[in-house]
Amino acid sequence: MNEDELILMIGGPQGSGLETTAQILTSSLAYSGYGVISDREYYSNITGRHSYIHMNVSPHRIPLDLTYPVQLLGAMDAETIFTHYDDLDKGGFMIYDKGVSGRKLDSIVSMPPITKDRIRKKLEEIGIDKDAGSLVNYLVRDRDITAVELDFRSYLRDISDKFGIVSTQATRYTSSILVGALAGLIDIEGDAIEYGLRRRFGSREKLIKHNIYLIEKVSKEVNEEYGTPMKLPPSKLELGELLVASGNDIVAMAKVVAGLRYQSYYPITPAADESFFLETYNNFGDKGSILIIQTEDELAAINSAIGAALAGARSATATSGPGFSLMVEGLGWAGINEVPIVITYYQRGGPATGLPTRGAQSDLMYSLFASHGEFARIVLTSGDHIEAFYDAIEAFNLAEKYQVPVIHLLDKFLANSIVTMDIPDLSSVKIDRGEIVDGGPGYKRFDLSKTISPRAFIGSNAVMWYTGSEHDEYGHTNEDPIFTARMYEKRMEKLEIMDKEIPLDLRARYYGDENPDYLLIGWGFVKNTCLKAIEKLEGNGLKGGYLHLRMFMPFPANYVEEMLGKMDMNRVIVVEHDYMVQSALAISLFTGIRVKNSIVKYNGRPIYVHELTEAIEKVLSGEANRVVLTYGA
Amino acid sequence: MARNPSTYRSGLWLDWCPGCGNFGIITAVYKAFAELDLDPSKTVVVGGIGCSGKTPHFINVNGVHSLHGRAIPFATGIKLANPELTVVVNGGDGDILGIGMGHFIALGRRNVDITVIMHDNGVYGLTKGQAAPTLKRGIKTKALSKPNIQDAINPIAIALSAGYTFVARGYSLNIDHLKELIKQAISHKGASFIDVLQPCVVYNNIYTREFYSERIYVLDEEGGWDPEVKSDSVDEMMQKIDQAWRRSLEWGDKIPIGIFYKNSSYSTFEERLSVEIPTYLEKPPAKQVIATAEGRPIFTTDAFREFFSKYIIQTKNSRG
Repeated sequence: MNEDELILMIGGPQGSGLETTAQILTSSLAYSGYGVISDREYYSNITGRHSYIHMNVSPHRIPLDLTYPVQLLGAMDAETIFTHYDDLDKGGFMIYDKGVSGRKLDSIVSMPPITKDRIRKKLEEIGIDKDAGSLVNYLVRDRDITAVELDFRSYLRDISDKFGIVSTQATRYTSSILVGALAGLIDIEGDAIEYGLRRRFGSREKLIKHNIYLIEKVSKEVNEEYGTPMKLPPSKLELGELLVASGNDIVAMAKVVAGLRYQSYYPITPAADESFFLETYNNFGDKGSILIIQTEDELAAINSAIGAALAGARSATATSGPGFSLMVEGLGWAGINEVPIVITYYQRGGPATGLPTRGAQSDLMYSLFASHGEFARIVLTSGDHIEAFYDAIEAFNLAEKYQVPVIHLLDKFLANSIVTMDIPDLSSVKIDRGEIVDGGPGYKRFDLSKTISPRAFIGSNAVMWYTGSEHDEYGHTNEDPIFTARMYEKRMEKLEIMDKEIPLDLRARYYGDENPDYLLIGWGFVKNTCLKAIEKLEGNGLKGGYLHLRMFMPFPANYVEEMLGKMDMNRVIVVEHDYMVQSALAISLFTGIRVKNSIVKYNGRPIYVHELTEAIEKVLSGEANRVVLTYGA
Repeated sequence: MARNPSTYRSGLWLDWCPGCGNFGIITAVYKAFAELDLDPSKTVVVGGIGCSGKTPHFINVNGVHSLHGRAIPFATGIKLANPELTVVVNGGDGDILGIGMGHFIALGRRNVDITVIMHDNGVYGLTKGQAAPTLKRGIKTKALSKPNIQDAINPIAIALSAGYTFVARGYSLNIDHLKELIKQAISHKGASFIDVLQPCVVYNNIYTREFYSERIYVLDEEGGWDPEVKSDSVDEMMQKIDQAWRRSLEWGDKIPIGIFYKNSSYSTFEERLSVEIPTYLEKPPAKQVIATAEGRPIFTTDAFREFFSKYIIQTKNSRG
């Protein structure tokens, strides 16, 4: 086991209950006091294509990073065996269905031909050309893997007979066979499993009963035959309670706290779950309510959110790249009209539909400059669920204080990974709505006596105008050459004010040794992977530092310049999920410093600690100044 | 202070071409607002882009000159955030039925209490006279190099299909009739739509003042025309939609104006929201207090814990 931590994976066809399984396992493990991250990788598909859950379970920390190899692989089908056999660590365990051991690679229709060819070549190299069973035998023979072969069909028949469930319905319990086997090998106690099931299924007693029966039965049998080889040491984490949430969930929770009162959205992966969550949690009685509206498209989403902001509601929309593309004209309107709105932007692989269910960080430059014309905006990014929570609240404060649109730039990796975390502490959270006035006669919405004009809402004691055209202080169209320049400057000067006023902590953070041997630079979800890689490399005597960029507009240029000034630039590496290394471009643009080393990944899969550490060593040894990572399935 | 039509003039110079139909429309708006005695600070006119899109600047109520095609979403956000506001959209036929058609349909589906006044002149005037969605096929207005080969949209039929609960047509030069339509549309609870025929004196040399004056007749002046659904019977609703739809097809020697369809008993979006959130109308999004006097969130850590309890796990350790 990896530093007492357990890396496990469950794979199977989309729609077979994997997401539910992940929730149950995460809850059960969290109940037992462990820290968990659970990443979900899937295709844009409802039923049938391969998906998997990749988990890191720790008894001594709250993990926010992912790595390979895995020690436990639970396969619901033959495709999982063929896809992930190489992910399994020496000495690891493969749990699989006896019924699929005869399946040949070529017979798996859900596997794309290109993937099949790639895997076939790998199998040929190790001399396997038959079925899943022969591959498992190879793993047992050559890689010290223990095969936990279970007869899924007999378990399903048993539960079907015992509870009178029709056999077609019994297949819904397939994932519980895997949970049972995992529970046996890891030694998750029965009460923890029951807790996980109850959290997931609520008061659906029958479902809970059937699942408990099946899980306990499998667990016991596996336990008897294999013992508890993957037993986790008791948790050292002294946490009384844990919050378990995906990135979408945590941002939605933050928006509730922030005082969001209007959110419009159009369904898109991986953003829609946030709005879905809010639709469930939008009514808090005497504390208020949020109006969530599913609009006809993203044009309406952003523009109605702007309308709601003009009327005085804290207002936001949540989307991903393709949706944001449609929002850009509205973003510019919000810019020229100094409208405080928040766009929660979950990046995915692009361009166009790109990799709709996979992650990326390739929209950084786009979010900085999207829209024709110039205006002040804030682009804020978050490195993990905890940051995302506080940042999502701060996004509204900044939007209203400076009267600018705020793009909260996140990604699919965060959106879809479920983690355990501390309950957020709200005692120091502030709500800052900026300078709000009631208007009165002669009110000037764009009063030039202040760069940030006092804001009255439409509906207050004032009449005001807004226009997407250049305008005067009242908001009427104006193209006077001298005045135009003045109003233009009023909007742009906010960038300087924000640069001066916004605390550094919101814009960049440094982690690591005071005088590091090398420096990683990253943003967003790469944060914790970088931190873990640095920790690993400490074992090799390398002291690393990590510069975590958080705000790209306005960019913390002075701070970054100062940090990089101390470094040998041969030992500075940007880690990012894109091809162009856009954060290095941003650094170069705003500071004039060129960072030439990069480790990038643009295949939509998360950067894993094991591949990152290798890549860092490669760069530091001078072997390469650009490493492209590709690991994952 | 009593409000009269001049109360609603913003004082800005109306930069439309002399003879433009927009003058008639805005005069009818001033009069209607005055007769309804609308509070300027509680009224919002949302414009799109184009000649008609400038309308908000010329009216002394809150004005939002939005984006091409997007006036309806802006209006929807404003209205839903603060339903006590009177919200009126002014847009051209290109704006509302061309680039903004999706939103036009969506407003009907929702039946939000918003009035849409469509300035319908068949051309894109501000960009020099291209064919707009209501220009009939085969017509060659003077800026077109060839006759239009796209069929025209029937705005009334679309509004009826989309679910608007007040559907009317006015004529920009029949100001008093238009004023009455606007008053009724604003007073109507639900999505209301007025298709206002108007000449574009510069670019539409076919649908001219003369063209319209020879053809227009007022529906209400015909005996027996009753556009209003008076019960919640589906049969009655279908019959009224059917007769309105038939009239909407008239475009030849005779062109009808007036109220085509009205249904006051259909649920508005605001009512539907109130079912889900009972406090919606009294505490809509824009009127809620979202922080304590000290600038703290309404949610304390404990309240957070309670509200999101489903996401919180009491670990085994804590249970001893």
